[in-house]
Amino acid sequence: MKQLELRYVAHVTTLTHCLLESHQTTAPSIHALVDELDSRYPGFRDMFVNPRTETLNLNAMIYYAAPGEVPLSVIDLDHPIGDGGTVTFW
Amino acid sequence: MAAATTVRDNRTQTILWVDLSEGSTRLETLPEAWTAKYLGSRGVNARLLFDHVPAGTDPLGPDNVLFFGTGPLDGLPVGMGRISIACKSPRGTVAEGSCGGFFGPEMRRAGVDYIAIRGQADHPVYLYIQDSASGEVAELRDARHLWGLKTDETDAALRRELADPDVQFRYIGPAAENLVHASPIFGNLHNSGGRAGCGQVMGSKGLKAIAVRGTQGIRVADYDAFVDAYKVLRQRLDLATSRDMWTPVWSTYGAPVLARLFPDLGNLMTRNAQQMTWDYDKAMRISSEPYLDSYVTKAKACYCCPWPACQKLHKIDSGKYGGFKGGNYWAAQPVVFGSLIDNDDLELLLVLSGLCNQYGLDVFHVGYTLAWAMECFEHGLLTTTDADGLELRFGCTDKDGLVDLIPKIARREGFGGLLALGCAEAAKVVGQGSERFCLAVKGQELEGIPQRNLYMVALGIAVSEVGPDHTRWYPPYPCNPSLISPEELAELGIDLDLRLAFQGRNPEQKGKLLRWFTISRAIVESLPSCVFLVRDTLGLDLRPWWKLFRAATGFDLDYREFVAAGERLMNLDRAFNVREGYRRADDRPPVRMATEDVPGFGYPRLAPERFEPMLDEYYEANGWSVTTSIPTRRKLAELGLDDVAAEFAALGIEAEP
Repeated sequence: MKQLELRYVAHVTTLTHCLLESHQTTAPSIHALVDELDSRYPGFRDMFVNPRTETLNLNAMIYYAAPGEVPLSVIDLDHPIGDGGTVTFW
Repeated sequence: MAAATTVRDNRTQTILWVDLSEGSTRLETLPEAWTAKYLGSRGVNARLLFDHVPAGTDPLGPDNVLFFGTGPLDGLPVGMGRISIACKSPRGTVAEGSCGGFFGPEMRRAGVDYIAIRGQADHPVYLYIQDSASGEVAELRDARHLWGLKTDETDAALRRELADPDVQFRYIGPAAENLVHASPIFGNLHNSGGRAGCGQVMGSKGLKAIAVRGTQGIRVADYDAFVDAYKVLRQRLDLATSRDMWTPVWSTYGAPVLARLFPDLGNLMTRNAQQMTWDYDKAMRISSEPYLDSYVTKAKACYCCPWPACQKLHKIDSGKYGGFKGGNYWAAQPVVFGSLIDNDDLELLLVLSGLCNQYGLDVFHVGYTLAWAMECFEHGLLTTTDADGLELRFGCTDKDGLVDLIPKIARREGFGGLLALGCAEAAKVVGQGSERFCLAVKGQELEGIPQRNLYMVALGIAVSEVGPDHTRWYPPYPCNPSLISPEELAELGIDLDLRLAFQGRNPEQKGKLLRWFTISRAIVESLPSCVFLVRDTLGLDLRPWWKLFRAATGFDLDYREFVAAGERLMNLDRAFNVREGYRRADDRPPVRMATEDVPGFGYPRLAPERFEPMLDEYYEANGWSVTTSIPTRRKLAELGLDDVAAEFAALGIEAEP
C-alpha cells in the first residue's frame, strides 16, 4: 500500500470539492490511479484520458513528484508511482 | 447601439494626428501597402515610432509621440479588442504594450485606426473622438476637472459627462500625472497597457483621457473564407476540443493557480527571489480557488473573447477591507503582492493590487520595488525613519502601512517618492550595493516569471527591446512539444529541434526558439489578437491567422510574406533601440539571476558560459551582429528596410554587411 498526496487544481476541484487529500492506493501507475479516482469522482477519467488513444488528453496536465524530488510533467500515463509521492492534477 | 451608418473595409488604415501644443487634429490615410508590410497595430506602431521619434528625443518632451493602434482584425470577432500603445520610454527604449477591452473596436467604428499624439497641452485636456455626418472627428476638451482623479473616478466622471453608455475610454491615474516610473494607461477600470511608461508620457503631455464613440460597420473582404477560418479558431478555443493544456485552467480559474504549481518546481519568486519556493499552505491561500469561492462577483471577457476568466470582477464583502471592489486578479498579483513580499493574506493582496489600478500604477513596478526596499531594510540599508515609520519586513506585519504607501507612491510623497522612481533608479539613490537587490532589465522590473529554471525566459527577458514583457514570447512554460511535429516544422520553414528547445535548463536551441516565438507573437499582436490564443500549435503554425488576415483584408499575401511582417517588426524595434545607443551589453539578466544559484534546487546561476551562447544563437538566427546586436545590412535589405540601414549610416552607426 502506498501513501500519496493528491493535489487538485482549478477546474479539477469541481469534481473533487477539495484542493488536496491523502490517498492510500495499490495503483502501480498514474493511469491506474486515474481509473481509481474515477470511481470516487465520476468524470475524472474523461478529464485526463483520451478514450480513443488511452493517452493523456492534450488539454490536461499531471505532475508527479517522488519524495524529495522536483515534480515532473507526466506525458506517459504508465509512469510508475511510489510511496510518499505527490500527484498534481490540472 | 445606433445602427451603422457606413461600412469600412480592412485594406486601408487611417491615422488621427493630434498636436496638443497647437490644439489641432488631422485625419489621414496610411499607405495601403503598409497593411501588407506591417499588418497593423503593433507592426504599424513600430514603423510610425521609428519614423516620427528620432534618436535623442526627450521622452517626456513635446516631440515624443504616443501612438494608439488597432488593426485589420480589430472589431472582428477574432481581434479580442486588442490595441497597441507605443512611444519612446522615459528609460530611452521602445515602449510598447498591448491591452484588451473594447476601446480598439470602438476606434475602428469611429473611422480611426491609429491615434498619434504629439506636443504638450498648456492645461489638462481629454480627446473626444466621434464619427459624425459633418465630418468632424475629434476635439480636445478641457480636463482640469478630471486631473487628479483616480482611474475609477475618471471613468465615472466621463460616463456622467458624455452620457452615452457605449463610449469607450482610455485614461491615466494620478501616478502618470505625476510622471511615476512605468505608469501604464488604463481602461474599462482594470485593463492596463504600456507598462513601459506609456502612461507617464501621456501624463507629460497633459492628456488625461481619450473617449471614443463610433457607429460604422466593418466588412471583411471574403465573408465565406473568413467564417471558415473563424470556425477553425473557435474550435481551438473550445473547452471540449482544444489541444491547449492551459485552456481548461485559464478559461475558468485563471493564472493565479500557478502559485500552487511553482513552489515545488523552484519557480516562485519569494522574498525578492532570495528563495524560489514557498510554503504550500500559503500558496493555496492566494490561489484562484479561494478567490473564486469568496470574492468573484462577475466574469468579464474582452471584446468577443469566448474565455470568461481574464477579467473577473471581485468584491470583499466584510471585515477590515469590506466593500473594496476590484478586478483582473491574474498571474502577476499572486507573485508581486504575494510570495515576493511573503504575504499570504489574499484580501491584503487584492487591496494592494486594486489600489495600484485606482492610482494608475504598474503592479510589477510597485511589487518589485517594494520587495527591493524590504531586502534593503533587512540589510540595514533602509530604516524605519527612511520609510516614514513603516516596518518594511517580508511577511508584511505592517499591513496598514503598506496600504497607505500605495497612494504615497502615486503622489511621490515622502518615502513613496523613492519607490516612485522604480528599483533601478531608487538603488542609485540608496547605493551601498542595493543594486544587486533590484530585479530589473533595462531599468524595468521583472514580471514574476522564473529564469534560472527556464532559460528561454531568461533570454527573452534579457533581449526584449521594451524591457521584461512576457507577451513578446508567451508562453514561458513548456507546453507539450508533440503539439507540432518535425515534419510540420519543416513545412513551415522552421529550423528547430523542439526536443532540445523544451529542456528548460539546456542553453541549446533557446535562441532559435525565442526567435520564432517572438516573430509569431509579433504577428498576432499586429493583426491584432491575443497571444493567449496561440498555444495549441505553440504559436509556431500561424496558418489559421494568415487565413483570417487574407479573408479580412483581401490581401493575397503568401505565408512567408505574412511571417516576414513579424520579423520586420522585430527589426524595427531593435533598430529603434540601436539608434538610442543600446547594444549587446544591455541584453543582460538581473544581477541576482546572473550571480546566485537557486537555493535548495541546484539550479545554477546564469553565468556567462550558459547565457552568452544563447545570446549568440539568438543574434545569429535573427541575422544580427553577434558582436553588437545591430541588424546586418543584408537582413535589413531582405526585409525591405533599406531606409533603416541608410539612417544607421547617416548617424555613423556601423552595421555589418
